[in-house]
Amino acid sequence: MTLASQNAQALRSQFLPRASTRLSASARGALLVMPSMLWLFVFAILPIGFLICLSFWTTTIFGVEKIWTTASYATITADPVYLTILLKTLRIATIATLLSLLFSYPLALFLVGLRGRARSAFLLLMFLPFWSSYVVRSFTWLPVLGRNGLVNQALITIGIIDHPVDWLLFNEGAVYVGLVYVYTLFMVLPIFLSLDRIDRSVVEAAQDLGGRPVQVFWRVIWPLSLPGVWSGCIMVFLISIGAYVTPQLLGGASGAMIGNVIAAQFLNTNNWPLGAALSLTLIVLVGLVLAIVGRRLGLKQLFLGERP
Amino acid sequence: MMPTLSLSWSMLLRTYAVLFYAFLYVPIVVLVVLSFNDSPTMGFPFLGFTTKWYAHILSGDELAGAITNSVTIGTASAFISTALALLTSLGLRHQFPLKGFVFPMILVPIIMPSIVSGVLLLIFIGFAGLPYGLWSAVLPAHVTCVLPFAFLTLHPQIARFDPALEEAAMDLGAKPLEVFTRVLFPIIRPALIATLLFSFTISFDEFIRTLFVISGQRTVPIYLWVLIIERVAPFLPAIGVVLLAISMVIAGTGFVLSQRTSSETNP
Repeated sequence: MTLASQNAQALRSQFLPRASTRLSASARGALLVMPSMLWLFVFAILPIGFLICLSFWTTTIFGVEKIWTTASYATITADPVYLTILLKTLRIATIATLLSLLFSYPLALFLVGLRGRARSAFLLLMFLPFWSSYVVRSFTWLPVLGRNGLVNQALITIGIIDHPVDWLLFNEGAVYVGLVYVYTLFMVLPIFLSLDRIDRSVVEAAQDLGGRPVQVFWRVIWPLSLPGVWSGCIMVFLISIGAYVTPQLLGGASGAMIGNVIAAQFLNTNNWPLGAALSLTLIVLVGLVLAIVGRRLGLKQLFLGERP
Repeated sequence: MMPTLSLSWSMLLRTYAVLFYAFLYVPIVVLVVLSFNDSPTMGFPFLGFTTKWYAHILSGDELAGAITNSVTIGTASAFISTALALLTSLGLRHQFPLKGFVFPMILVPIIMPSIVSGVLLLIFIGFAGLPYGLWSAVLPAHVTCVLPFAFLTLHPQIARFDPALEEAAMDLGAKPLEVFTRVLFPIIRPALIATLLFSFTISFDEFIRTLFVISGQRTVPIYLWVLIIERVAPFLPAIGVVLLAISMVIAGTGFVLSQRTSSETNP
């Protein structure tokens, strides 16, 4: 209705004489954002409605039938397998996020200390691997950690082990390595940006007043970098919680996460309603996390690095 | 900041940075080394130098077909999502009702776990009765997931462009289209090119949503995935290296261009 009238207004303005070609600024703004909003409504919001319907339909050996049931949700709550994998996914995502923070923060500190060309060069070196597919980036760990991989080869050459060991791959540990490796840029970048915004004189004042480096860090730099830390943690947590490729390639059976279970319902066992119900559970989980963190920080701050 | 960091601390940070970049690049170097390894199995030891794996993957039609698919889909989704992002960024410079909903809406595809996005598109294409495949399903999937990144890249560049310049042009009698082509476009062109290239690489590298809706066709990441799942073959590193090279060259160009834009508009 409003869209139709706005379109009509736009059309009319095209064909009317120059004097009246100016749409009001507000109509112009609304019209300009309309295409992307419609696109996202159709391809990102509307399908959630279908997902909800599907999760309440019945699965039979002949496929999905439109008979309403809560069977899928009953399966999720009754079978401890699903609760276990959900909790395990939360644990893996949390630990991967914390590990990523631990490894990324010092690098952000290093980058922010650089100037000019050196800064550009090291930033570019940081970005470069992340422009390739995470399929490739996860895959590269197979020839590093595998039976004939780099680590085994190195350990044998040094003489620490006689035969290649198999426990480097296909477990939860390998998933951590993969997740930290694949998503560390999302942690480094926001921390780097918020460190870069810290007023130099604030740090100098703390040092002039006799703060030791550790004190200056914990009481001045760290608190001021928290927006970036939160932003990075949210990004890495959100991506990790829905991970599929990394646990599938590196995790084996013991490293499986909820994403692998969801995918299996659609790609292997063909239980679409159960897959839909599990997907909705994941959406709700992510929504809860964002609601808790987003209330404190605001979405714009998290994703655009704007100040509150 | 931190020019006055004590020497020992900055030495510590530098040492750490060396280790970090090693962590980042050792797997890639391993991949490159193994892609030239004359060994019937993927892995070490290095038995001799050969380019036969590249000859092998480049001789068949499969990789070429997958690259063609990825490049065409990537180009199409880069143009569509950059156009959508541009319109949105331009619109956001005005005040209008419900403006506050635009930003959260744009973020939906980023916030949504990618596996769930794949599921959503699979179901949607099914409900809509569209055929699964490259143009009917993969293209919408790619535009949807590229759009937020295109917007986040372009928006800061457009937001700092002074609306007074356009108003001046309009007061001087320029039509809206003229204002765009003759005032706005020349200024934001480097940012647009950077956004296009960046969008292209996101589409080129997209995997999980594609996996759900592509049916029997292949993009490059899907091609690699199917091969990995099938069996660990000795020519896999070569495919990985080709993929890495394509993405790095294109996105690197975009990075350089965007650096140039930000230094030009922000002297």
